[in-house]
Amino acid sequence: MGRTAVIGLIVMLAALALPGLPGASAQGGRIVVYSALPDLETSLINREFTRRTGIQVEALSVAAAGTLQARIRAEKDRPRADIFVGGSADFHAPLAREGLLLAYRSPVFTEARISPTYRDPNGYWHGWYLGALAIIINTDRWEREMAPRRIPKPATWDDLARPEFRGQFIMPSPITTGGGYIFVAAQIFRLGEERAWAFLRTLNGNVAQYTPTAPGTITLLERGEAVVGMMWAHEGIGARILRSAPLEVTVPPDTAFEIGAVSILRGGPNPAGARAYVDFLLTRLPQDINAKFGFRYPVRGDVPVPLGATPFEQLKFVRYDRDWAVEHQARIRERWTREIGR
Amino acid sequence: MRAGAVALEWRRLRRHADPGLLAVYTGALLLLALAVLYPAYRVLVYPSWADYLAIPRSLRWLQAARNSLVMMVLSTASATLVGVLFAFATTRHDLPGRRLFRAAAMLPLFAPPFMVAFAYILMFGRQGLVTRTLLGLDANIFGWHGLWLVQTVAFFPLAMLIIAGVLEAINPSLEHAARNLGAPEGAVLRTVTLALARPGIAGAMLVVAISVLADFGNAVIIAGNFPLLATEAWFRMEGMGDLTGAALVVGMLLVPTVLLFLLERFWVSRRVYVTVTGRGSRIERPPTPPAVRWAVLLACLLVTVLVALVYLGVLAGAFTAVWGRDWSLTLEHWHLARDRAGTLWASVRVGTLAGVVTAVTGVLVAFLATRPLPLRGVLDFLAVLPGALPGVFVGVGYVLAFNPTPLGGTVWAVALALGMWHLPMGYQAAAARLRQVERAIEEAAVNLGATGLRVLRDIYLPMLLRALAEAFAVSFVRGVTNVSIVVFLIAPGQVVATFAILNMIQNNIWGAAAALTTMLLLLTVVAVGASWLLLGRAVRTAPVG
Repeated sequence: MGRTAVIGLIVMLAALALPGLPGASAQGGRIVVYSALPDLETSLINREFTRRTGIQVEALSVAAAGTLQARIRAEKDRPRADIFVGGSADFHAPLAREGLLLAYRSPVFTEARISPTYRDPNGYWHGWYLGALAIIINTDRWEREMAPRRIPKPATWDDLARPEFRGQFIMPSPITTGGGYIFVAAQIFRLGEERAWAFLRTLNGNVAQYTPTAPGTITLLERGEAVVGMMWAHEGIGARILRSAPLEVTVPPDTAFEIGAVSILRGGPNPAGARAYVDFLLTRLPQDINAKFGFRYPVRGDVPVPLGATPFEQLKFVRYDRDWAVEHQARIRERWTREIGR
Repeated sequence: MRAGAVALEWRRLRRHADPGLLAVYTGALLLLALAVLYPAYRVLVYPSWADYLAIPRSLRWLQAARNSLVMMVLSTASATLVGVLFAFATTRHDLPGRRLFRAAAMLPLFAPPFMVAFAYILMFGRQGLVTRTLLGLDANIFGWHGLWLVQTVAFFPLAMLIIAGVLEAINPSLEHAARNLGAPEGAVLRTVTLALARPGIAGAMLVVAISVLADFGNAVIIAGNFPLLATEAWFRMEGMGDLTGAALVVGMLLVPTVLLFLLERFWVSRRVYVTVTGRGSRIERPPTPPAVRWAVLLACLLVTVLVALVYLGVLAGAFTAVWGRDWSLTLEHWHLARDRAGTLWASVRVGTLAGVVTAVTGVLVAFLATRPLPLRGVLDFLAVLPGALPGVFVGVGYVLAFNPTPLGGTVWAVALALGMWHLPMGYQAAAARLRQVERAIEEAAVNLGATGLRVLRDIYLPMLLRALAEAFAVSFVRGVTNVSIVVFLIAPGQVVATFAILNMIQNNIWGAAAALTTMLLLLTVVAVGASWLLLGRAVRTAPVG
């Protein structure tokens, strides 16, 4: 009797959980999107896309572009998605080199007169938003611990290496995050390779933690686990405005920026729908959504700058050679583990 | 000579295995080869030989390997110790609060692993409620010590489940006998109770040790600049999209696991632990010595407080505006979480399927592994192996192995991966109980003409019901709270709750993450509670020695 009850229960639960057989749904007007942007922006943008085109979107939103990149590699024999959206172009470029992306030149890109530097010359990816690296301060802890000692707020990358920030600085790891790597490359473009390593070694003395994921840095800064951090400006501004986090964002001179990209996966189920999606992202509405909710810079000149952000043209950028940075990534990360070791 | 040996083997096989049993056995071997070995093989052959040969040159990986081993020793020791204490406390009928302790020990299983680490940062971090607000300390929880604490709390329930199952099965008359023969209380405890629980403790240590080795959910949040193999593998993917590097690191992780496995076999399988004789016993357990009782009680209370803090942290996070800054109560997080409520249903589906896979396969394989069948060592190894594989490894293995097949991208792939990954828990629990069963019961049945499958159904299954139920429950809950596998296998349109929660944490929406976690907790508690009530009745009516 007891056994019957157990078996009955398990059978019942299993029957309840039985999913429908695969392959039943038609492909038709539907695309699959892998998004490295947060749920909120992804779902708002996709809803508008469906409203405009009638094409349904199945989205998978993962906060880490690297995870999606690995997933796309692993699925290369039978791609499940049509679109890889979000994350720095540095995550899209290697996929293009491996032949996993489909080239496309969106007419909208040309019509909107977006700078050609924001698109892959071969058309494998399109940039549709921008983000700049910044110095972010937790003002609560600053007022409590730094202000009484009359310490000036850091305004340049070099200021971060000052001894008073010992153990109080955090940044994303250059080994595991795009932002961390772009920071290191920016130092090389700023100072030349040997002086850059000397600077990074000094800075390392101040570092409380290299966070393994990029959002980890903003999380800990917001919670006051560190006083100063290096992170994307839009993350800091977003936290300040959406969650009233006690953060102050300064974009220093010689900063670097990421090109937030979108690309079409080769062999995806719906290439026509994918092209329509890329075209759509380059129109005003999605860029405006991304600027309003994600605080990222639009690539279009006719979309307002995000709330609380300095206009992009007023930022002072280091001469960042994206090709060189991608080319030497393995070697620089190798040297990082050898010299910094964390 | 060799032909003679083969003939002998064949005769033995014919005597012990009828066609039905053989068919099931072959099926189980094939299933494990396909669902455990093949994905692992696909990951391991992904890097080239040159990649493997370059491992010793990576300082960071060697450091990670050393750290992983240190953490394994520390966390396994503490988690097993706490597990033994809790198992003891919950199986003694004269210990006050045993229901409370049992509940406390079950709780960490319900939360996604990173939630324990998350809650402890809220409680014990620089801005922690306990450390800063209450005690005014400037504490740094990031690092190996924070990880040690978190892993102990996260993994002692696994140890407790296995050890408690064994302790409960010990015939009280043995303790009575020892006492009647004049043994002092301490000696009874040492030479009878704990000695008989040894297969359970060893099995628990094995499961905990490989869980610690494979844990990345906690490490990723709290380990700070303390590289570990599991997190290193995960970061390779997460940040760098480097499948080759991840496969390499995970390959390094397999070495200690295989050693652990062999150690456990050597230690446990050479002794005999027959306590279930089939002759039945309803004798009351003798009273626990007072000194032991108070010591155990105190230790359990302390751990219970630590567990409670996790849930307090999550609950408070779900209802307060902004942790540490604005303590005003709000329901706003719940509105955001409600939008993701559909993911809860997806979780239940996946968890149930995974639970069935684990329970059925675990008990079946445990039974088959006790038969004198050829290759049963292989079967046994394959059933323990999944516990050594970090979730990301299993996830990527399944993608590489099954993506081009119709299985890829379906909920079945997730369920099979999760079910198989948790197989060691079902298997260890069932095997530990089987080891206590005297063979005379079975021999009697065989002499009466029962076939191999009949022996399983009529003799072992009733005795294994509890193991079956526990395997299902553990696998269900772990399946519902899993992230590491799900991250890779989940397809658009099938997003489960933990996945949504992780996204929320990563995007810094901590309040809504806490709210959705609370919903997930309630759901799993209700689901497990319901099945426990049903199964509890079933188990009590089943003939257990």
